[in-house]
Amino acid sequence: MINKDKWLNSLPNVNKKQDQELLQIDNNKWLNTIPKNNTFNSVKKYSFLTIIFVCGLIFVSIVKNQTRNLEKEISYLKASISLIEFNLNQANLDYQVITSPENISKLAKEYLNGDLVYYKKSQIKNLSKNDIILKEKKKKNNTKILSSLPDNVKKQVVTKIQKKKKEIAKLQELYNDPKSIPEEVKTKVAKQIEKKKFELKNLYESPKEVVTLKRVGKWGVVQVVKVVLGMPIIPGR
Amino acid sequence: MKKKSFYFEDYTESKILEQNSYFNIAKVSFSRITFLSFVFISILAICSIKIIYLSLSTEKNFYSQNIEKNFIKKRRDIVDRNGNILATNVNLYDVGVRPQLLSNKEKKTLLIKLSLLLPDLDMETIKKKLKKNNFFWLGKRLTPQEKDQLWLIGNKAFEFKSKLSRIYPQKNLFSHVLGQTDDINNGISGIEKYFNKDLSNNEKNINPLNLTLDSNLQYLIREELVKAQEDFQSIGSAAVLMNVTNGEIISLISLPDYDLNKRISLKSESYINKITLGVYELGSVFKTFTIAAGLENKIINPNTVFNNLENSLTCDKYTISEHDKLPKKLSTEQILVRSSNIGAVRIAQKLGVEKYRNFLNSLELLNVINFDLGEIGKPLHFKWGKCKLATTAYGHGITTTPLQLARAYAILGNGGYKIKPSLLKKDIKSLEKKEQIISEKTSDELNLMLRKVVSLQEGTANFANIEGYEVAGKTGTALKYNSNEKLNTFVSIFPASKPQYVLLVMLDEPKPAPNFVYEFPPSERYPKGFRHKGENRNTSGWNAVVVAGKIIEKIGPILAINNLQASTNF
Repeated sequence: MINKDKWLNSLPNVNKKQDQELLQIDNNKWLNTIPKNNTFNSVKKYSFLTIIFVCGLIFVSIVKNQTRNLEKEISYLKASISLIEFNLNQANLDYQVITSPENISKLAKEYLNGDLVYYKKSQIKNLSKNDIILKEKKKKNNTKILSSLPDNVKKQVVTKIQKKKKEIAKLQELYNDPKSIPEEVKTKVAKQIEKKKFELKNLYESPKEVVTLKRVGKWGVVQVVKVVLGMPIIPGR
Repeated sequence: MKKKSFYFEDYTESKILEQNSYFNIAKVSFSRITFLSFVFISILAICSIKIIYLSLSTEKNFYSQNIEKNFIKKRRDIVDRNGNILATNVNLYDVGVRPQLLSNKEKKTLLIKLSLLLPDLDMETIKKKLKKNNFFWLGKRLTPQEKDQLWLIGNKAFEFKSKLSRIYPQKNLFSHVLGQTDDINNGISGIEKYFNKDLSNNEKNINPLNLTLDSNLQYLIREELVKAQEDFQSIGSAAVLMNVTNGEIISLISLPDYDLNKRISLKSESYINKITLGVYELGSVFKTFTIAAGLENKIINPNTVFNNLENSLTCDKYTISEHDKLPKKLSTEQILVRSSNIGAVRIAQKLGVEKYRNFLNSLELLNVINFDLGEIGKPLHFKWGKCKLATTAYGHGITTTPLQLARAYAILGNGGYKIKPSLLKKDIKSLEKKEQIISEKTSDELNLMLRKVVSLQEGTANFANIEGYEVAGKTGTALKYNSNEKLNTFVSIFPASKPQYVLLVMLDEPKPAPNFVYEFPPSERYPKGFRHKGENRNTSGWNAVVVAGKIIEKIGPILAINNLQASTNF
């Protein structure tokens, strides 16, 4: 048997104590140094990611569902538009058939008396540029004539127009409100009406008395004057 | 088992092993968690992929798919120059019958009901089809009303199929131009075929295809042609109205025509589009080109006099003669006005083959025309020679389509500028940018001469001298190949002072009309008017010209109103 201490002791300056300390090694000291797996952290991380992903998926599906609903609505609207378009197309087609030259000429033959006469070229008046220029010139000339009148004449015309306008306005007022007519005027008019009625009654009852020589002469003169002036004789008024 | 470490003698593996057992337990539980989380994540991934897919997908949902498709137009509308619909789509129905679903008794009752409801149906054939027990179509392209009538019978054997079909509200009016579509809405003829891609382009669905044609003018011209067919007993007729400045075709008619809404198979050649597909010898209308070539090459002028014109001359075995007794001395102008065959031959002989052929080629009379329809005729090729030159000078032995003839007259009338006939409405192109084929001087001289053909008493087209429209033109009377029947043509340009329109009228095999009353309204020449009956002549001047005159009288005011430029220039 080999004594290992024998050799150890033989070595110079050997500190036994130190050697013993060295020999007492703690095994766990090294084992604890091995890094442990942090399982809790990784689970936390993955579950967090999964939750985010699932939330994302739910969000996407909600959005998708909403868009699907919108799409459905759009397609319904599109369908109704196309239905309207289809109806419009049908109506347009009906219009085209009804207004086709063949149909129109058929209807014309059926409901219009006689043959339709075609317009001849000579019946069409072309408004050439010269005609338009001539019309414009005429308008300009009229305005020129008006502007060339002396101021006195213009003033007279203006006052006459204003006077007539006032009269018309007054008459219009009376016409709109008959109560505002003064009593004197009313009685005057009533008397005149009664007088005329009386004359007419006399004329009807004794016509010979009404037709006097004086009146006949007067009537004859009026008719002669009418002939001279070129007015119709009998109807008179 | 205990082992000693080399460096640490007291260190044994026992403790480590003890700790390993703890690790093993944790490992198992950890792998379970991993598995579960894997499953969970997989489900999540699948769901999320599905959600993302749904979010990104552009596919329409069930509702829009099913509701919208019934009302979508699958083919563009075709409209005329005023926006009137010429072709559109409607929902029509095909009704089929499945006889195998019916008992014999039910078949009999169905037959009775059908005969009461639709007496026009051929009951014998339906009876046979019912016996065969195979599916058959009872009716196609039925209107919603007709479909409802059948639906109300309430028979289980009926099968209804809704489909978008093409219909033509103007019926016969544009039959040769529009053409037709097949059962699956593909164009098979006319515009429908030529512009098939463009018409079935879904992106352009909202915008209709705009044509240059005018429904009102088309109707008026057709009406006159129909009347003319009755008056002159022709087997067919045709007319084309073209704008000379931009080549827009305003009206194109060929009779006989057919209702586009009725699907009938037409095998007779008389139903061809005579304007674009028909290739004819058109007669004296070619004299204008002979004289135009002479004027353009400065070989003649309108006053050049031709002396000693024979009444007939022979070339090989053929005899060329005048249609009437004409003076032996005629000027160029008189040759055109009186339509002298011998005079035209003399001018052509002066010109020579090369120059005359080049001139006709420059007017593209002998090539296939580039037009907006598939139905295009090809002029017949021939070998040029001395005799051919003589006959072509007055329009015999040379063929072309009426459309090419109208186009050539338009070029002669518009100052000599090349135009392309078109059915599609485009922006007005200025004439300045176009190629000039003949000089304006030649064009002016020709317009004046053509006016005299109509206005002078000795002219051949007096009946087209409508007051106010300055009609110019040339008549053409030709015998049809291998036949004694005639083909009478009149090409008119109006107003002659500033040509705007070319109108070509053609009557196929007209007959003399002794009962027809030829009349003129009172004018300077005829102060009491003119009435003539009992005419037995059958030349263009006595039929095609009369028809053209009536057409111009009717359409003239409309053209003048629609086109302010025309109205001020008339």
